Amino acid sequence: MPPGLDSLKHIVVLMMENRSFDHMLGSLTAVNPKIDGITDQLSNPDTTGALVKPQPLADFQGQLDPDPDHHFPAVDLQIFGGDTSPNRVANMQGFVKSFFNQQRDVGHSQKIMYYFKQSDLPVLTKLALEFAVFNRWFASIPGPTICNRAFAHYGTSFGRVDMDPFDVIEPIKSIYTRLISATPKHTAKVYYYDTTSSTMEVVNLLQNQPELFGTYKQFLSDCDKNLLPEYSFVEPNYNDHTTDSGEEVASDQHPDHDVQAGECLIAEVYMRIRKNPKLWPNTALLVLYDEHGGIYDHVVPPACTPDRFTAPANSTGTGMEFKFDRLGVRVPAILISPWIPANTVVDRVFDHASIPATVAKFFQVAAPYSPRETSADVFIEPNVQPVDPNRNLLSLATMRDDCPVFDV
Amino acid sequence: METIHVPRPSPKKAMNPDRPVNALLLAQISHLQHAESRLPLRYRSEVYIHAIKTEGEAAEYIREVTEAIHQAHADAAKQRAKRAPKRGLEIAAAAEPPKRKSTSKGKTKSSKRAKK
Repeated sequence: MPPGLDSLKHIVVLMMENRSFDHMLGSLTAVNPKIDGITDQLSNPDTTGALVKPQPLADFQGQLDPDPDHHFPAVDLQIFGGDTSPNRVANMQGFVKSFFNQQRDVGHSQKIMYYFKQSDLPVLTKLALEFAVFNRWFASIPGPTICNRAFAHYGTSFGRVDMDPFDVIEPIKSIYTRLISATPKHTAKVYYYDTTSSTMEVVNLLQNQPELFGTYKQFLSDCDKNLLPEYSFVEPNYNDHTTDSGEEVASDQHPDHDVQAGECLIAEVYMRIRKNPKLWPNTALLVLYDEHGGIYDHVVPPACTPDRFTAPANSTGTGMEFKFDRLGVRVPAILISPWIPANTVVDRVFDHASIPATVAKFFQVAAPYSPRETSADVFIEPNVQPVDPNRNLLSLATMRDDCPVFDV
Repeated sequence: METIHVPRPSPKKAMNPDRPVNALLLAQISHLQHAESRLPLRYRSEVYIHAIKTEGEAAEYIREVTEAIHQAHADAAKQRAKRAPKRGLEIAAAAEPPKRKSTSKGKTKSSKRAKK
């Protein structure tokens, strides 16, 4: 068996908010051409018909205000460029038009094409270059946060494409319930930042199973004390607030929250695992974003296996029903482990249903899965013979001792 | 090994609890209100969520309801635990062999008789 898979005991997922692949990691094409980011050929028309090219002018805060629209109809415009005909073809040409709709200001609308320089994001770009970066990790739905995060917890959004509360429809269960009720039992936890930030999975998980939750402080302590569960899902701080220990700046990177605060969070989660010699060899950390937040990306989201649910035409806002048969816009995703070779670039297609699919298969938790989860690719191979060496990302024969260190 | 410097944002610049509440926080508030409406009355906040305009106000409501949900579950668990030993005794009592019951009755009777 590959030693990386043999030693793997913990999977940790840190899901950030609302940034596209090109916006955060697009600059890396200049460093590693295998990374599918920004090139000179890319552009989007503005409302005057002028072509706007992506520019490395993204700022940490203050630029994407108002929050770019990323509800289902706006994302439809971004992907299809405003074409609503039956035989339309996705072209990723509607981002500037969509942002223009919010302020009716041509100059302002062009900012949706801005991306970060590599030097702006020392943590995310370093991790992308040092471990495995995914060229084709897409949001699960061309829509907003809540329904996309649902895919990470359940492998489906139960027919929702919006931000409304959803009901869990049996027999599908969350990945946490599946793990803790399996035989033999596994351990799983959702770590929200604190009670003032809370979780985005309120209506089902927090309301009915609050015992599943811990705080970020507890996550750090669990890392130090070797108490980390087999599967951990970490949520960032979603709002600016004050606690007894001082001011807590939102770290989710949701526009218009400070991107550097999110960089610090990612570095801290990574370093907490990295510096514990009992945890680092047997933990895989996935850092990714829930959806693109209305920000430009150039890769057309592919078709996918339809879910068993359909969003009716009157709920999508486009006048067309949605069968969950197309993925959302591409997001940054990086898999981190000392068993992954530096400069690994993965071209297979993933979405957030890949998270419960991977966790369930790795820990051998039984079905039922949603059709989307069943068809989703896994980013960690199940540790059962035979393991395909071409698919196994934790492929090194010996653990690396040159992994980056951040000063957090 | 080289240590990579991670720039920290200045809280003075980045922090703004007066920022208008974004669509994500509005959705989270609405989900929390949905959950709050299912709590027993004594755990509910008296916050009118449609009056929440800033991130700071949102944060306050989010904390209040999240803690209330945890508290309601913790109190229910305490009640369950309180009931558990009692039920244990009841079960134990029910499981007492009839022989012992009659013996004890007999003993009482006999002791009463003895007193007489």
